[in-house]
Amino acid sequence: MILADFGTSYSKILDMAKDSSPQILATSKLPSAFKADLATGHNAARRSRTSINELTALARGGEQLIEDSEYVLLDCGSRDIKYIRFSDNRVEDMGWNAECGASMGFTIELLARYYDLDYTKIAAPDSGFSITCGVLGMSNIFDAVIAGESETEAVAKFVRGIARNAYRFAGSPDRLYLSGGLCDNPLFVASFPCQVIPLGRYVLLEGLKATLAGKIIPERRGEEN
Amino acid sequence: MVERVGIVGVPPREIIRGLNEAGAEIVDLDEPQISRSLELVDGYLPRVYCAVLRTVVLNATSLDLDRIYIDVGPGKCDCALHVATILNDHLVIPVITTRNQDMEGIGYPLCRTEMPLIDKMSSITRNVQQASPDDAPPPCRPTAGFWGVPPRDFGLLRLFPDTTHIYGWTRCMENKTPADLLLESKMNPDIPTVFFAQSFCAKTALAKHLASRHPQALFLDCDVTASSSAKAKIEAFFELSGIAVRK
Repeated sequence: MILADFGTSYSKILDMAKDSSPQILATSKLPSAFKADLATGHNAARRSRTSINELTALARGGEQLIEDSEYVLLDCGSRDIKYIRFSDNRVEDMGWNAECGASMGFTIELLARYYDLDYTKIAAPDSGFSITCGVLGMSNIFDAVIAGESETEAVAKFVRGIARNAYRFAGSPDRLYLSGGLCDNPLFVASFPCQVIPLGRYVLLEGLKATLAGKIIPERRGEEN
Repeated sequence: MVERVGIVGVPPREIIRGLNEAGAEIVDLDEPQISRSLELVDGYLPRVYCAVLRTVVLNATSLDLDRIYIDVGPGKCDCALHVATILNDHLVIPVITTRNQDMEGIGYPLCRTEMPLIDKMSSITRNVQQASPDDAPPPCRPTAGFWGVPPRDFGLLRLFPDTTHIYGWTRCMENKTPADLLLESKMNPDIPTVFFAQSFCAKTALAKHLASRHPQALFLDCDVTASSSAKAKIEAFFELSGIAVRK
């Protein structure tokens, strides 16, 4: 049984038959014939026998990993951001931003390569840019560099702006559980104005495992109204 | 010769009755009637504007009509009032504004019956063209709720279960009381409910407000078409609420 979280940039693959950790592969390097048994994410319907949507996988993963009954779980992907808010062990609210929150993770990675930066060595700045889109936000960096700031300072402000935008999108909680590859980016994590608990990049895989275990909530019916 | 009359919103029952008695052909200008690009209305309206009203202008400027009734005021919206002004300036046919404040309801059986939500919504919008309703279908126990206006893209409704009850302005439409804010604000806290409004519509405020007061709600706004992320939100919302979605 092969589970897969097909991200836009990276795919996370888990072979349940093997007692090993998930594999991470660049999605562009995946063999075209590769097919998972159960998957979520970009092109999951085409690349798997059964698929569930990413919000569902995120929520089910959160249920497995988080013991609180009330929490906000935010997933910052390469192309989009999405969150689930649980209250009293039930989904109370959710959001998925693939338009205005577009390409945030992708842009952060691209900038590190372009400017040859190491995010583990950059401190979170005290102020940042106001950013609602990774692509459009890049002009702030160019303007800041022209104005005399270093490239590192400008990118740090950009990353802070992206984190703050994601924080507001998730409803500005006091505490936030974070999912996705950006959990490994200390500058990004430190840029949130709230307590952040990084869960890593396998939350959606945990959601797939829970789905496989068949943890389905029974249907309810209300009164006529 | 049969008169061809365009309507926007829910004109007063008296107007519809008169058109029915005269045997007029009624065209609902709120719904897409022709397959032409919405960009054609950029000369009349800003791009960032309610997609339903952009559709109204596209229909009104493309179809061969004899006159148009546009409901404005509390039963529709201020934006429709301004669209009426614009059409009046550009068209040679009469553009007549109405203010439907009918408060005598005829009921909303379609909103509460078991039927694919797209069919339910289509029947309700079609009934706006009739002063007298068809036979009332039986009610069902709801498993989900849709609150809001008929969306510009009915594809949004495909994922909802057949036992979805309709609330909000659509319920007011079927009841033929579009200005009944009390009825529009009604919701069912026992069932997971999607609170929908067209992007850039004033009703987004009410949708968001009611969603914040509902124990299991999803607030959703869409512009011209329902994006894949909007559909995914509905799908996940129902799946995580234990509701079987239509695939």
